[in-house]
Amino acid sequence: MSLVSTELTRRIDGIAHLDGISCALERGRFYVVVGQTLSGKTSLLHALAGLDAPDTGTITLDGADLAAVPVWSRSVSMVYQQFINYPHLTVYENIAFPLRRRRLARAEIERRVRAIAETVGLAQLLARLPGALSGGQQQRVALARSLVKGSDLLLLDEPLVNLDYKLREQLREEFLNIFGAQSRSIVVYTTADPNEALLFDAEVLVMHEGRLLQVGSAQSVYARPATTTVARIFSDPPMNLLPGSLDDSGLRLTDDVRLPRPRHLDSLRPGPYVFGIHPGDITLGASGIATEVELAEISGSETFLHVRHAQMRLVAHLSGVHAHALGENVQIALDGAKLFAFAPEGGLAAAPASGG
Amino acid sequence: MSVDRGKLVFVLPGLIVLVAIILFPLLFTIRVSFSGWDVAQPGLDWIGLANYLRLAEDTRFWESFARLAVMAIGSVALEYLLGFGLALLVWRDVRAGRFFRVLFLIPMMTTPVIMAVIWRTVFHESLGPANDLLRLLGIASLPWLSDAALAMTSVIIVEVWQWTPFMFLMLLAGLLSLPREPFLAAAIDGAGPIRTFLRVTFPMIAPISIGAIVIRLIEASKIMDTVYVITSGGPGTATETSSYYIFIRGLRDFQIGYAASLSFTYLVIMAISLTIIAKVLARAMIVKDNAV
Amino acid sequence: MSALYRALKYAAILLWSAFVIAPFLWALTTSFKTANGITSGPTYIPWLQYEPSFEGWRLLFSSGGGGIAIAGPYLSSLVVTISASLISLALGTLAAYGLSRFTYRAGFVRNADITFFFISQRIMPPVVLAIPFFLMLQFLGLLDTEVGLIIVYIALLMPIAVWVMVDFFNTVPRELDESAMLDGCSPFETFWRVILPNSRPGLVVAGLFCLIFGWNDFFFAFTLTFTQTQLLPVAIVALNSSVTPWWSLSAAALVSVAPLVAVAFVLESYLSRGNLAGAVR
Repeated sequence: MSLVSTELTRRIDGIAHLDGISCALERGRFYVVVGQTLSGKTSLLHALAGLDAPDTGTITLDGADLAAVPVWSRSVSMVYQQFINYPHLTVYENIAFPLRRRRLARAEIERRVRAIAETVGLAQLLARLPGALSGGQQQRVALARSLVKGSDLLLLDEPLVNLDYKLREQLREEFLNIFGAQSRSIVVYTTADPNEALLFDAEVLVMHEGRLLQVGSAQSVYARPATTTVARIFSDPPMNLLPGSLDDSGLRLTDDVRLPRPRHLDSLRPGPYVFGIHPGDITLGASGIATEVELAEISGSETFLHVRHAQMRLVAHLSGVHAHALGENVQIALDGAKLFAFAPEGGLAAAPASGG
Repeated sequence: MSVDRGKLVFVLPGLIVLVAIILFPLLFTIRVSFSGWDVAQPGLDWIGLANYLRLAEDTRFWESFARLAVMAIGSVALEYLLGFGLALLVWRDVRAGRFFRVLFLIPMMTTPVIMAVIWRTVFHESLGPANDLLRLLGIASLPWLSDAALAMTSVIIVEVWQWTPFMFLMLLAGLLSLPREPFLAAAIDGAGPIRTFLRVTFPMIAPISIGAIVIRLIEASKIMDTVYVITSGGPGTATETSSYYIFIRGLRDFQIGYAASLSFTYLVIMAISLTIIAKVLARAMIVKDNAV
Repeated sequence: MSALYRALKYAAILLWSAFVIAPFLWALTTSFKTANGITSGPTYIPWLQYEPSFEGWRLLFSSGGGGIAIAGPYLSSLVVTISASLISLALGTLAAYGLSRFTYRAGFVRNADITFFFISQRIMPPVVLAIPFFLMLQFLGLLDTEVGLIIVYIALLMPIAVWVMVDFFNTVPRELDESAMLDGCSPFETFWRVILPNSRPGLVVAGLFCLIFGWNDFFFAFTLTFTQTQLLPVAIVALNSSVTPWWSLSAAALVSVAPLVAVAFVLESYLSRGNLAGAVR
């Protein structure tokens, strides 16, 4: 089974929420749509679910056009970020709701509900009302309800964003088990956090301003972002992008920073480029580029150091706690082998070898 | 879109029923306004714009608008101020708050006509407690119902008694639904109760204020029961509102054609006035908000 | 909060409370008077200032000679008000859901216009509608009947239901509707099985408003009914002619007002639970 969308477009008040989205999704696969707020992720889910009709474009399931099929006749489930459950029904009734609409036999409903409740860890809570549950439990109920009908398409719209960190980790793992174990549905999961996509190690669709910028495995998108926009979106903190140029003597960043030309950039012609480097590939050294500290963000056992050299601003992701004072001078080293090179218009020219 | 198919089933039943019930009266009124239907000549003839020309020169009709404006705006303004004040007094930090809130709601629940009957006995100049109270305070009795200005005042008092709870209810609901954060922020910034009210409470409740005022104005402009019972439009025409005048011409003098033209003119004027008032209020309240 | 502030606050509250209660107390004492207690001037305290009697209350149940025979009109009012309110609530809630969730367009008429049309019906003063309604009901043979009044009241009360419920539905998250539809509910099933069960606060307020405005109507009952059907306000005010027995009038007034006082309790309890604003978490 495959779900194919062709040139989906949807404009509201002149702004393109979806701008020519074409993609093909296969049964049994797990897809993660990565994009910032207002990138069109939710609009895409709504279009796939049939909740909003696109202005132009088609969506077909195994070749059959879905436009004529009303939402309530489709085989779709959706989990929202706001813990949506039916407040007036118990957990059991919530999960049973879609099955009742299909007029399944009571015994069958009971069997399925209890099985799913077991999988999702809700077996003890079946008699409660959603209002009496914690956020994580409510989201589990929503998940259970979406899984119990075994729909062809399972959509999750940033489902973990309202939960605390530990719960997120826990649920992410459970998601992997649940979605990895099934092979009948297409699962589409959206997130604004590229690290989540990397953790899931899934097939990624990068969206920005309504357009699909890149499709590929999480690793490959990370290692070879197609454009500077993708590079910025698919890295948290965003990849450092530094305008510069290549010439015969080497690599130049701003007026006074010169680096030897890295091997993997040998094949590039001289000229202006935008170079990129992940924050994690910047290190503090005894010698290197002299910079001034603008901000030291200490987050747990990691530090995000914002430094500046003339017009060049960089964020370095360092492990450990580095409590540098504002204005302090530090030397940073950029590992040439980890540099990305993009053409000035944004397209990828060269990426570091294997993995970056 | 697939959803669209089912949507008509929601709005059509109500719309059809409403239009069915209202359409005939509305069209009928317009048609009759072009006829000379009265006691002498019952039936739908055609006299063109004669009724409208007559009403253009009918000073009693135009004066009734002035009186209506005084009565409606006067009572609604008082209801708003009092209702807001009461809501602020009892929405929190009050002993027996629940009791007072219920008590303050009660007048609105009563039948206006019936209460008007009671108020008429209250304002009775020799046998009623109103003047008794004044005598007790050493003030002379007032001709509540026989003096023009006082009659208007009496009507406004009754209206205020009856309808302040409506404002109270709306504003109380609004106050109770306000988020707490802005108040906490104001407290941290050192704002006293008056500044907090002017800069935080009032602006946030502006939309509800406007809604409540417009709705009350719509209802107040129809005032009929109170006037009918307490003053019968008097003394003379001192409390004769537009709808009361239409009542006299239509249901008492039975000049149905003329009354229809009065009605239609009244409707148009009211619709326009209320729309203007709603827009002006919205702008005034929003401007106040921006002055923060 | 200083002591002075608190004193002023409670003084204001008590002052207004006195103003609210005053007419009721006056009606109460008056209902126990006879001609003597009235003609000599206003009196307030029974036994001290006048001889109390139950004449006013007794007359409530008899007709003629100052009596009111309140039972019949009471029942009529109940039947008419409750029927009209229920129908108005049903039709109005249905329309309000549509106006809240869907986009309608017919020519240049859109949602906001339709909502405005509903609500603007309240601008029409009863006197404008009285004659056409009279003729309409006469044509239908429904003058002086409860059914006729119910029809008229529906037109009056539906706008109220629409006004309250549109505001309420706008606070219910659309995602709830979407979930229901994804789970297999048609739009009507969504409304019936999911949204409506979660709309109790809004329905209560809308219903109560309909009851209040319906129960308290005078003008239409006055012009459209005569002898066979009599509603409570008409029955009581009809007494307000030259020979006015203040005592039975007062008793009748108190009795007619009592039911809605119970409504005040219900309304306040929804208020203090913050449900009036209709937020659904």
